[in-house]
Amino acid sequence: MKYILLMSGTKAGVEGYLAWPKEEREAHMAVLHRINKDLTASGEFVATQPLAPPHEAKVVRGQKNGMPVTDGVFPESKEFLLGYWIVDVASAERAYAIAGQISVAAGPGSKATNMPIEVRQFAMRESKSE
Amino acid sequence: MKYIVMMNTMKAGHGVPAWPKKDLQAHIAFMQGLNKELHERGELVSAEGLSFPDQAKLVRAGKDGIPMTDGVFPESKEFLAGFWIIDVDDPERAYEIAAKVSSAPGPGGAPLNMPIEVRPIMSAPPPEML
Repeated sequence: MKYILLMSGTKAGVEGYLAWPKEEREAHMAVLHRINKDLTASGEFVATQPLAPPHEAKVVRGQKNGMPVTDGVFPESKEFLLGYWIVDVASAERAYAIAGQISVAAGPGSKATNMPIEVRQFAMRESKSE
Repeated sequence: MKYIVMMNTMKAGHGVPAWPKKDLQAHIAFMQGLNKELHERGELVSAEGLSFPDQAKLVRAGKDGIPMTDGVFPESKEFLAGFWIIDVDDPERAYEIAAKVSSAPGPGGAPLNMPIEVRPIMSAPPPEML
């Protein structure tokens, strides 16, 4: 069963993170790297990606003639996807356990961030991935 | 350059849309045609649909690292319905593809013109985040 674990945050949250002391950001990233390594070792890892910061995000709509209209203005409260993990696991509980590990990654003062991680199952149909 | 093209939805009114069957089929055929075209151009990295919001969970780690799950989301929350990861030459091509997704047919075959979020993907966190 494939799940996607979504880490989201607001623009203010990203700015807060960038203000952490460098060694604490490194410690945080080290935990995330270790999780990726563990998931690879257990054969549950499919993919992970960090996304570029929210100021590079655009929202696109198609016009009548099919031409794209882009807009980069979002409400301050909007949650942006910061990054995701795709895992292939035996149960939903295992997906939640991995999300829990991500949530507990250390933040400032070595305290767990306890950030909420959204867990979503892939639709039950054949993947369109090539 | 890799981009993620995200189709979001609100919780309300989601589930299989109450459209006539032929309109649903035309919508799906449009998406399949688009995926085929992107694959043939060598631009498709992956495309996935996610299960409906009623199966989404929000996970936080408790004190002992045990995952705590919650399925209660604010009505205004946007959910990821599906995404495409594409590898294209420039952002304009990413916006063009997003506009195509945006113009997928809805009820009566009229283009939905739904908003599609486009975000650059990083191969690793940018140096300023480390």
